[in-house]
This record gives sequence, structure tokens and C-alpha cells, in this order.
Amino acid sequence: MDPIELERINVVLDHDVELREKIKEQVNELDKKMRTIVGILNKIHSTRPEAMPALLDSVKPVLNSCQAVTSALVLIIPKNQFWRWKDMWSNSIRTAAFAAVLIEYLSNRTLLSLEKVSDTLGVRSEWSDRLSLPVEDYLHALITVVNELSRLAVNAVTLGNFEEPLKISAFVKDLFTGFSMLNLKNDTLRRRFDGLKYDIKKIEEVVYDVSLRNLTNISVEK
Amino acid sequence: MAATIINTDATASTSQGFVDRFDTFRADLDDYNDRRERLIKASRDITNLSKKVIFLLHRIAQGNLEPNQDDEALAKDAAQQGYAKLREVQELYSRLRPELQGDKFWRYQRQISPGLQEYIEALSFAHYLDKGTLITFDEVQKTLTDPEGIEYFPLTISDYLLGLSDLTGELMRFAISGIAHRGGRRKAQNVCAFVRGCKADFERWIPYVRELKKKQSVTSQSLEKIEDAAYAIMVRTSEYDLSPEMLDDIVAQSISSYRDTSRQAVGRGRGDDLSDDEDTTN
Repeated sequence: MDPIELERINVVLDHDVELREKIKEQVNELDKKMRTIVGILNKIHSTRPEAMPALLDSVKPVLNSCQAVTSALVLIIPKNQFWRWKDMWSNSIRTAAFAAVLIEYLSNRTLLSLEKVSDTLGVRSEWSDRLSLPVEDYLHALITVVNELSRLAVNAVTLGNFEEPLKISAFVKDLFTGFSMLNLKNDTLRRRFDGLKYDIKKIEEVVYDVSLRNLTNISVEK
Repeated sequence: MAATIINTDATASTSQGFVDRFDTFRADLDDYNDRRERLIKASRDITNLSKKVIFLLHRIAQGNLEPNQDDEALAKDAAQQGYAKLREVQELYSRLRPELQGDKFWRYQRQISPGLQEYIEALSFAHYLDKGTLITFDEVQKTLTDPEGIEYFPLTISDYLLGLSDLTGELMRFAISGIAHRGGRRKAQNVCAFVRGCKADFERWIPYVRELKKKQSVTSQSLEKIEDAAYAIMVRTSEYDLSPEMLDDIVAQSISSYRDTSRQAVGRGRGDDLSDDEDTTN
């Protein structure tokens, strides 16, 4: 091969390696935040309803600080290359989306939309060719939320909060209906969706136990 | 705004809000999956077309010389026909352009990569027959660019290198099946030096390009086959005290006398051999 051509390829490849390292740096930063967040969110299983808002509020500043990472990340990613690099931070961003959706649900009992999650993480729509939150990642986050809520249904009862499972059950059923509308191909999302039924089963068992013993006065709509 | 619907307490409207949102997700996922399928299909078509070009190149370049034609002219002729056929592939890529615009290229890069590598293999083989050199990155990209100079999509270094890496296998076949022809030994030597150069150049990129390691080991095997063939020829020619031209004549004569009796069978047989070879390597 011609030496000039050889050198040119070397330059491009070295540049890619450099880029990868820079991205890695930001992803590490993001991962650090995620560990903090997941650590705090673990406590929802042992927190009584009255203390919940304070707990959730303590996560928010950390979650908001992700904006610093996303705005740094977007400066590194070259135009149109979002999909080239996104695998590097998919996991971290899914965790962040999970945290945002879970906090919103426990605070207001609503589903935080994809757009709102993007806002929370400081991902702007005009960055879409460099940095965005794809539907797939958001859906992964939702499934993680369901996984977490099925645990919470059990633990809430242990703490004497008998209404929590009923709320969770209604919310998760809606989510499941939503997921059933999607044409998923055989990928991890599909497999995780298939696993949702076990979470639902678990939640329903809790609801059954609680209502059978008349521990709650809210009637269950069937 | 969907959030405001969700905020109301009634279960019915909550569900409706979910349905609307998941409707858009479904559209998004369907669009992705459909485009993905289309590109995989297109990539397969391109692979097939490119494979056919490679066979064509072998067939013509190993064919019989016309009375006043030399090797080089034959190779150039093969290359020209190869280029012409590859225009069909370029045409396919030009039609794929809208599917790969903007950030879409990287989203579907894995789907189009196999076809692209096969195309680069065919193109670089034609280029080798034509010029005796390795096609450059820019030259490949240029074939994937419209007359106004706008690229159908950005060529990646990794596809370029992996495509070229496959070229060495074709060159090995080219060298060995041509070794008994007039001038075949000289050709084999050229190919041998060329492939050796490729292997050396590519060595340093192994850590940068995934899959290159595997392809490099195939290149090593190909190179060894050519080297063994060159060795055998060297040892055997030393048994005769004749000039290379005279040896060529002796070999050519016995081949042509054989051909006269069973020309058609031989012609067909060779084509089959090539395709068998191709299947086993893939």
C-alpha cells in the first residue's frame, strides 16, 4: 500500500481510538452517578410513604447532574454518528431513564414520557444525530421499573402499606397492555418483555393476599 | 401533553394515554425493523452480484488469449467487464441512499456491511487486474458517489480494510489456477509479492478493526498456498535447463492438445471448481 494512504488510514483509526477514550471517560462519569442513584433508590423498599418524598428528593440533584455529562458527550460525538457509539452508554442511560421514571411514578403516580425523560437528562431534540434517547432504551427502562415495582409491592406490604400493591398493579397492567401493542422482534427487549408476566404474577399475588384479608378498603376494579 | 391526560385519575383515560404513546413507539419500532429487513435484503443482493463479478473476473482473466492479445490486455479486458457489471451494484447503492441518510447510516451499518465488503472485494479485484495495485480508499468512495459528488453514504475504514482483506483469497485462486498458463509463474510471483505486502500492511490494524484478525489468518493461509505453488514450480523448473518461455510453450502445448479433445468439459469444469471453492471458504 502506498505510504501516504497507509498514513491516512492510521490517522483515521487513531482518531477513532481517541474518540472512544473520550467517550469512555464521560460514560465512567455517568456510571458513577448511576451507582449513587441506584444505591439511594434501593431504600424505597424500606421507606414508609411519609418519608418517601424526602428520599426521592435526595436523588433528584444527582439525576439532574447527568445533564453535565450529556452536554459534554454531545460535544464529543461527531455529526450523524450517534448510532455508531451509543452502545457504549446504552446501559448507563437506561439506568438513568429508569431512575427518572421510577421517581416520577412514586411522586405523582404517572408515567414519565420519553420526552420528559430526555428533558430530565438534558438530552435535547436538536442533538438527535449525535445524542438522543431512543425508544428502545426507554422501553428497557420501563421494564426495569416494573421489575422494581414488583419488589416494592411485596416490601410495601411488609411495611404495612397495603394500598401500594393495588396502585402498582393498575399501573403495571397499563404498561403491559402498552407493551403488548408492540411488534417486538427476537431481541433482548422481547425477552425482557416475556419476563414481565412473572412480575405481574407476583404483584397480583400480593394484591390477592391483601384484598382477601380485607387489609385495604379500596375496591379492586376487575 | 399526553402527560396531562395521564394526570387525571380515571383509569380509562390513563389507559388511553398509554395506548397513544405505545402507538407511536410501535410505529417507530416497525419503521426500524422494516428498514432493517430491506437493507439486509439489499445487502444480500449486492453480495450475490459481487460474487458473480468475481467469478466473471476469474473466468475472463484465466481465459484463452486472442491471437494478438497479451496477458495484460486480457486482464484489462476482464477488469473492464467487471467494472461494467459492478455498475449494477453502484446503482443499487444509489437507490439505498435515502435509507442511509444522516444518522441512519450508522444505525444500519451492521446490516449493509457484509454486502459492502463483498463489493469492495470485487471492485479491488477488478482494480488489481486493471492496474496491478491496491485500490485506494478514495477510489472506492468515488464509486459510491453520485455525479454531483455527493456520497451515497460515508465509506468506513473498517469495511474498506475488511473488503481488501478478502481480496487476497481471490488473488490466491487467480495465481494458482493460472500458474500453468503462459506467463502464469511470473503472474503468481507478482501476486505473491502483492499479497505479502497486503498482509504486512494490515498487520498493524488488527487491534483497530474487529474481524480483521480472523481475515488476516485467512490471508496467511492464502499466502502460504501461493508460496508453496511458487516453490513447487521453482524446484521442478530447475530439473530442466530451459528458458521460462520455452517451458511455457511446452506446458501450453500439452494443455492445448488436451483442450482440443475435451474443450467444453474443461470449460464447464473450471467454473464449477471456482464456485465450490467459494462455498467452502464462506
